[in-house]
Amino acid sequence: MIIMEERIQNLKNEALAQIMSAQSLEELENLRITFLGRRGELNTLTQQLRTLTPEERVTVGRMINDVKGVIENALVEQRQQLSEKREGKWFDPTIPGIKPKAGHLHLVTAAIEEISNTFEKIGFVRVRYPEVEWDWFAFESLNMPKNHPARDDWETFFVDAPPHPKYGQMVLTPHTSSGQVREMERVKRPPIRMINIAKCYRRQSDISHVPMFHQFEGLVIDEGISIVHLRGTLDYFARNFFGSNRRTRLRPYHFQFTEPSFEVDVTCGVCNGRGCKLCKSGWLELGGAGMVHPVVLKNGGIDSNKYTGFAFGWGVERTYMMKQDLNIPDIRLLYSSDLRFLRQF
Amino acid sequence: MDILIPNSWLREFLNTKATPKKIAEYLSLCGPSVEKVTKESNDSVYLIEITTNRVDAAGVVGLAREAAAILPRFNIPAKFVPPKIKSNQKLVLRVPYLTARVDHALCPRFTAVLIKNVTIKESTKIIQERIKAVGLRPINNVVDISNYLMHEFAQPLHTFDYDKIKGKTMLLRASKAGEKITTLDEKTHTLPGGDIVIEDGDGRLIDLAGIMGGENSAVDENTKNVLLFVQTYNPINIRATSMTLAHRTEAVSLFEKDLDPELVEPVIRRGIDLFEGLCDGKAESEILDIYPNPYKTKKVTTTLDFIQMRLGVPIPKQEVSAILSSLDFSPKWTRNTLEVFIPSSRSRDIWAPEDLIEEVARLYGYHNLPSMLMSGKTPDPLPDAPFELETRVKHILKGWGGIEVYTLSLTSADNVDLEKRHSWALKLRNPLGSDSEYLRTSLVPSLASVAQQNAGEKEPFHLFEMSNVYLPIRGKLPEEKMVLGGIFVGHDYREVKGIIEALLKDLNIEATFKTQDAGGFLLNHRISITSKKEDIGQLGVLTQNKFIYYEFYMELLRKSLTPRSFHPIPKYPTHVEDISLVLPPRTLLGPVIDVIKNTDAHVVSVELIDIYQDTQTLRIAYLDPNKTLTDKEIEKIREKIIKVISSKFGIHVK
Repeated sequence: MIIMEERIQNLKNEALAQIMSAQSLEELENLRITFLGRRGELNTLTQQLRTLTPEERVTVGRMINDVKGVIENALVEQRQQLSEKREGKWFDPTIPGIKPKAGHLHLVTAAIEEISNTFEKIGFVRVRYPEVEWDWFAFESLNMPKNHPARDDWETFFVDAPPHPKYGQMVLTPHTSSGQVREMERVKRPPIRMINIAKCYRRQSDISHVPMFHQFEGLVIDEGISIVHLRGTLDYFARNFFGSNRRTRLRPYHFQFTEPSFEVDVTCGVCNGRGCKLCKSGWLELGGAGMVHPVVLKNGGIDSNKYTGFAFGWGVERTYMMKQDLNIPDIRLLYSSDLRFLRQF
Repeated sequence: MDILIPNSWLREFLNTKATPKKIAEYLSLCGPSVEKVTKESNDSVYLIEITTNRVDAAGVVGLAREAAAILPRFNIPAKFVPPKIKSNQKLVLRVPYLTARVDHALCPRFTAVLIKNVTIKESTKIIQERIKAVGLRPINNVVDISNYLMHEFAQPLHTFDYDKIKGKTMLLRASKAGEKITTLDEKTHTLPGGDIVIEDGDGRLIDLAGIMGGENSAVDENTKNVLLFVQTYNPINIRATSMTLAHRTEAVSLFEKDLDPELVEPVIRRGIDLFEGLCDGKAESEILDIYPNPYKTKKVTTTLDFIQMRLGVPIPKQEVSAILSSLDFSPKWTRNTLEVFIPSSRSRDIWAPEDLIEEVARLYGYHNLPSMLMSGKTPDPLPDAPFELETRVKHILKGWGGIEVYTLSLTSADNVDLEKRHSWALKLRNPLGSDSEYLRTSLVPSLASVAQQNAGEKEPFHLFEMSNVYLPIRGKLPEEKMVLGGIFVGHDYREVKGIIEALLKDLNIEATFKTQDAGGFLLNHRISITSKKEDIGQLGVLTQNKFIYYEFYMELLRKSLTPRSFHPIPKYPTHVEDISLVLPPRTLLGPVIDVIKNTDAHVVSVELIDIYQDTQTLRIAYLDPNKTLTDKEIEKIREKIIKVISSKFGIHVK
């Protein structure tokens, strides 16, 4: 029996020595078969347990099992070492990756896409009406006769071109409201659900104004449209665009082309309407809205006795900046050409 | 227009316990917008935005009326306290102290009263404080009274030194072009004609009516007798004169909004009270009042149905009446038809039932209205809508490293296009500067400029923009052509062309490239991109800085789109082989590849895989959908190719 123990010990040492000096996975596999295989050394020894007494069987059996474990571990370790050597280096999964070339879409594009998608979900049709427009569409058809003081609110760029006999001066439109009568002429018979997103121009350049900017204009005309639906649409937009807990409110205002007219506020995202350093009153100004003036409907060829409608027109940049808490201190930065700005979004 | 109203002054006409903060809040919700409330010494001052249609609320009294109607809607008791007027002189058509001839089209109401033996001195403390609080300087009692009443009632007044009016005669007429007048501020104006002026007995112009008084009739420290003067003027003339002369006063901003002539009487009477009280003067017993067309009460009719439908709530008749009455309207119901008599102060703003809806709705409270999306039929989609393709292309370019930029549509004359052809481009009459005077007809200069600005970048970059260019059309609005323009800096030409080719492939557009020179591009470094016989874009190297520029016309791109269809997966293998060519110098490879592709129907692709010195290696793939091509068949095709390209291009095949 002592001979058995010696033999087991010798087997272990031999196996370990050979495993440590193995140079290939193939060699290791052969060693495994030699020592741990069905007809391997350990099994041969195991079969000789029959010749021992029951007590001796237990002790020697245990020894054989221990040696089996040791050989198995040695094989695993050696396998790993050989693999690492083959790879040439130690593997580090935390190493920084090689990034593919990333592109960037402009903030304004992201804003327009989101605004457009929000309204298209409730059946609005996206359009884009001319940036260079006739006075008729930009002002006169919107109930602003020539020389009306209301026109002063928009600092309009005039184009050096002969006026149209019917439509008046050529201008750069200062607002997307110029699309209202255009859409009425296009669709002719309600229902109308327009979202006109286009460039506008105003003769102003300072920390909160750029001469070229974007607006989005909503126009809904159908039978039985009331202030209720305007509220519904604005609330829908606020919840989807700013967050499900944000609300809007209407305050009296005046536009020549709507009656009644409103200014629209949204609850402040920071304090949720309670009032804070940013918003003071709990509300932030979004833009204007109103029920379409019957004169405007008439100018669009729509029967104001049968149909009513509402409209709203807001700045794309302003509205988006309010959502994101972007901290852009000067709106002119939005139209920066500096790659260090463009790459941020 | 923005006005300042001190809280203490407001309280003279408004009896309420509401705090300034609450007044500001509720006014803004239902009426004029209070932008700010500032605390000054022991008073608060409201900064209020008055919209052009509510000039009736542009003064202390008018605002008090609004507040008195609005506050009770929030359960805050409030009462309007009418201005106290003592003087009771009669209004007559003729007075002994002044002869006036008035053009009624220019001046719908002309009133004047002589106040004798005034003493020019400082105003009382309260008046001075209030003058300062509304942003003006106190000068003397006469001037201050005019400013004071103008702010109290939103009705301007004027005062003349009576003794300077020659002949005690006034002729109110339109000016003739070229007439001159020197106003109080010592400026001499040459009038364009059609301006409202007053001429005295000596034929001198003594007033540029509604805008500023004449220097020759002004009240000074020696004035003994004052003519108090309160009028209503035609807003169109006032505004035209003010705009042409670039002379804008507070009086102008009120007159141009079409004031209510009925306002004149309480103001001139208050004026008499103040002059007698503060200047020691004595007013004549009769006020001259030339008012040929007094206000005939306007009536607007509507129905309960209309009101309820527009509001979206079943508001009861009593509430409608209560609201309208609180605003000085006089409602009268006959069953469900409503006749509303409009007060003169709102007659220029209320014309139709829709205007009444606004009055009812704003006091009912917009916050009290329900909120619901519209149901029912949705409109048809816009035919040929360009948006989906635009978005798609932008996202593709972003995925390949493109950085989107938005540049200004307005440029200087030199940046209208690559060849500075600004004479045909549209330009502005009133640009902000010469660098933004023209509407560009090309994106190239703008993008090249952006690339130049970022020249310090160490890494290569690709900038793109999708914007309109403006191509003038005589007698019409310009064509707004949507162009995708992009510029590559620091990239290899093949990389750029690869992106262009990949873009066209993603859109499934079959396009051909042809060399074509154009201004602004290096010679022989430009190709035009054609699909279905139309030029849909271009790609080339700019002379400036060797930037690589490309362009696509989005509408044409959209028209060139072809839908994808399924091609059965080939059952038989493609045979691929490489051939190396040596092209004669200055031979374009593109046409060679085209010829190879067209040589035999079995050629399914030709790719350039290597360039080494003067040798270019092409990888050609052959496929027959119905069988595996034999070596012999491939040899025949290869020989055909070699024959064609050697004879056509003089190419030597290795």
